[in-house]
Amino acid sequence: MKQKSLMKRITGSREALLAIVLIVLFVIVTAISPSFLTPKSLMDMLKNNAVMMVMALGMLCVMLVGGIDISIMSTLALSGMAIGMLLKYDVIASPVLAFVIAIAIGIVCGFVVGLVISRADVPPIIATMGFMYVYRAMGYLISNGGEWASAAALGSFKDFATTDFLGINCVIWVIVICYAFFFWFMKWTRTGRKIYAVGSNAEAAQVSGINVKNIKLLVYVIMGLLSGLGGALQVSVYASAMPDMQYGGEMDVIAACVIGGVSMNGGRGTVLGALLGSLILATIARALPLIPFFNQLWLNTIKGVIILAVVIINIVLQRIADRNALKGREM
Amino acid sequence: MAGKSGRSINNVPESSIKRMIFSWEGILVLIFIAVNIFCAFFSEFYNLSSLLRQMPVYLAEVFLMLTMAYILVLGEIDISVGSIVCLSATMSCIVCNTNAPFIVVVLTALIVGTICGAINGFILTKFQELPPMIVTLATQIIFRGIAEIVLGSGGSISVTNTDGFRMIGGKVGEVPYILFLVLILAVIFAVILGKSTFGRRVYAIGTNRLTAYYSGIHVQKIRMIIYTVMGTISGLCALFLVASSYGANTTTGNGFEMDAIAMAVFGGISSTGGKGNLAGGVISAFIIVCLRVGLGQKNVHAQVILLIIGVLLVAAVALPNIVGQVKRAVQVKNK
Amino acid sequence: MNKKVISALLCGTMILGAASPVFAAGEGQKIALVGKSAGNAFFEIAAASFQETVEAEGGEVEVVYPETATADAQIKVLDNLISQDFDAICIAANDVNALQAKLEEAMDAGIKVSSFDSAPNKDSRQVFINQAGTQAVGQALIDAVLDITGGEGQFAILSATSQAANQNAWIEAMQTIMEGDEKYSGLELVEVAYGDDEPQKSTDQTAALIQNYPDLKVICAPTTVGIAAAAKYLQDNEATCKLTGLGLPSEMLEYTGDDDAHSCPYFYLWDMQGLGKLSAYATMALVSGDITGALDETFTAGDLGEYTITEADDGGTEIVLGEPLQFTPENIEEYAELY
Repeated sequence: MKQKSLMKRITGSREALLAIVLIVLFVIVTAISPSFLTPKSLMDMLKNNAVMMVMALGMLCVMLVGGIDISIMSTLALSGMAIGMLLKYDVIASPVLAFVIAIAIGIVCGFVVGLVISRADVPPIIATMGFMYVYRAMGYLISNGGEWASAAALGSFKDFATTDFLGINCVIWVIVICYAFFFWFMKWTRTGRKIYAVGSNAEAAQVSGINVKNIKLLVYVIMGLLSGLGGALQVSVYASAMPDMQYGGEMDVIAACVIGGVSMNGGRGTVLGALLGSLILATIARALPLIPFFNQLWLNTIKGVIILAVVIINIVLQRIADRNALKGREM
Repeated sequence: MAGKSGRSINNVPESSIKRMIFSWEGILVLIFIAVNIFCAFFSEFYNLSSLLRQMPVYLAEVFLMLTMAYILVLGEIDISVGSIVCLSATMSCIVCNTNAPFIVVVLTALIVGTICGAINGFILTKFQELPPMIVTLATQIIFRGIAEIVLGSGGSISVTNTDGFRMIGGKVGEVPYILFLVLILAVIFAVILGKSTFGRRVYAIGTNRLTAYYSGIHVQKIRMIIYTVMGTISGLCALFLVASSYGANTTTGNGFEMDAIAMAVFGGISSTGGKGNLAGGVISAFIIVCLRVGLGQKNVHAQVILLIIGVLLVAAVALPNIVGQVKRAVQVKNK
Repeated sequence: MNKKVISALLCGTMILGAASPVFAAGEGQKIALVGKSAGNAFFEIAAASFQETVEAEGGEVEVVYPETATADAQIKVLDNLISQDFDAICIAANDVNALQAKLEEAMDAGIKVSSFDSAPNKDSRQVFINQAGTQAVGQALIDAVLDITGGEGQFAILSATSQAANQNAWIEAMQTIMEGDEKYSGLELVEVAYGDDEPQKSTDQTAALIQNYPDLKVICAPTTVGIAAAAKYLQDNEATCKLTGLGLPSEMLEYTGDDDAHSCPYFYLWDMQGLGKLSAYATMALVSGDITGALDETFTAGDLGEYTITEADDGGTEIVLGEPLQFTPENIEEYAELY
């Protein structure tokens, strides 16, 4: 009897289902290529997907209030390019200052997007589509029409991504800290709960005294902040700033959230879900080149099929779980 | 019909002329005129014949806007269309190079597109809980991936016998065939959306899916039809695209979905569903085409053109809302 | 009613547009330089020297970019250029075949068409300015691999996209040279991987190569983004595997060195400024009628000296700039200042 309830608990939770999918993926990949499941390989995987993982948190907040943000990679390019150019021309030298500037630019970008969405009632996909063009263009303009800031120009800033702290790479610490903070923030703070409230039912939230407009503004500022951080990470990890970096990458972040069970209509989704979703995508990206018998030409198709399969399997499992839950109530 | 016009300045007097001017479509016409006057002064090369000559490449995307409008009215989105265009263009080129009669080539493009659209529709109606964005994101990767596999390591194919494509890329005088086809299809699609029972049902689903379902509308059937037609139209777009390049490659149609959505949204079709009409969409499509041609002819940096379009897009939606808010605030004060 | 008014207004503006005057062309040659996409440091260097050269001769250059790195976007750019009064177009093509219709239209309109960096097919250009002969690049790369491996061992190639025409041609040249000569029999090409010119994917691919082939001695990356990403990964992980390929000196400065602390002993590129200059002179010669792009014609490219038009691999004609340049720890700092 006790075992049954445990089973039910596992199959009843979306995150548990996702964890199963992730574990299955891990097992398959390790069976084919044993070198996948080594600490170093996993660290590499996290480091190489840091940008997507961190930004998935912001996208989680945005999607929780029923919004979407496709301007994030343009914000990333703008902030990353800005610090790249500042470092290149020796305007600044301190890595800390570079991080602060990138994040500040991200916040401003997010604030403008948030204002347009929350105050002028522009549908999020349109507002962010507009700003996707605007910020990307600004990124090109500040790069003097196409200069790159390369490893040599970045000085000590790029060392951040190669430094270890307590045996773990700094970039991975950033991921850990971000996830720990958001886990606490979304679950235990009033503001975090307000985001859920607005997403579940904006009118009810309004009536119960939550300033819906400010919450909507806040989530885009958070998204902007994390995009700015993503810009700094991108430049640091790859030791290179280019105006077209991460072009089209916003879809990966959105996919990570949706795979992680975040609803596009708002109100449903957890930090754990975002983590699992982005880990699944990261595993796919990491594993595909490792599997020797895949023709390189097939990689994109396989990636698409896996994404589709994961979301469909998730839905099917969810349906089975729902049916079991109903049976339990003996209806 | 309330809610049909995408946006409007609030509290407009009930006189029909005033309502016409203050409707979003009226404003769009004014913007269209302004854009043309601006372009004519900005670029010395901007005239009717250069516009007509440059138009076909852009018009191929207007096809996509026509069906994208339906999907947006449903409150959904399809970001796989660019990839469907790529796959149909690739397949039609391959068939064309086997010396098949041109009608077979045309059918290939349309059928491949239809199948792709039907796959989208099938998945979305079988698993209704899935958000269209994620499904079409996956199929976007898959359809283009299949084109990549088919094209092999060259990544590009060119048509050896260009006669057929040369024919559909032809002109009556200076007016390209594609302009007629766009206008005819626009009228058909607009009438179906605005006047037919089918169109009403699409609006109903977009406004409130559950209510629509309980009032006896076959929601899933209608979604299936619309996504399938979206595929067919993508195939049509692919044909005209091949007619401008006599070939296809792995980047064909890249980003078309965003262009189509931008045109529709600028035209007042709400992405949250249930609002907007195709007249607005078509006018806004021509505004964007004229603006791009005019600015492009003076070699304005491509990124700056995108910046301008981005600002226009946001402003077009934000300004009417802000004006409305201010007016309401003033009224409250006066009371 | 509404629609009638709208259509009347539409017609009105169209006519207004049609009535606007067309101004006459100015003096001097007007040349358009079309890039693959905006924001490419690689292209900027050649473009700057192209512009300088033409302006020194009293001409005018307009550098134009498509909005994305696709052939579709370049078609729109070409449409815009044909509407204007350019004497010549020099293009780095995003696709081999897709621009043929538009470039033929341009040539029919009396515009000279040259191309550099990456060529459209032979029917859509008058002449191609090749940075370095395909064979020469292939030879240099395979010799570098042979040298760095010490004569035998496994090596892999990290390319851009599987569709990139230039990269595919160089890889093919490497393979044919390898098969044709006993000297290379000790080398084993284990895999050709594609990083799509994205840092993230290139890093994943490099990591996978290292994990799948522990005995891998050299990775050859004939693409600028790929080589930088691979160099960083190998250097950060202190891998024994070494790197060579084609890259920008400024991007590779940190990774080039003979010792174990650096991942890349030496690599290649060509003289980007020379390429811009030669393309400028060739395009101007096309406009002035000194050359028509036919085989065996010769012309003088300013201080670069005399060049002869030769036959390209695709059956069209090309002008080859010269041998690839080698960047070693000794000369890289000097070149990193330039590009």
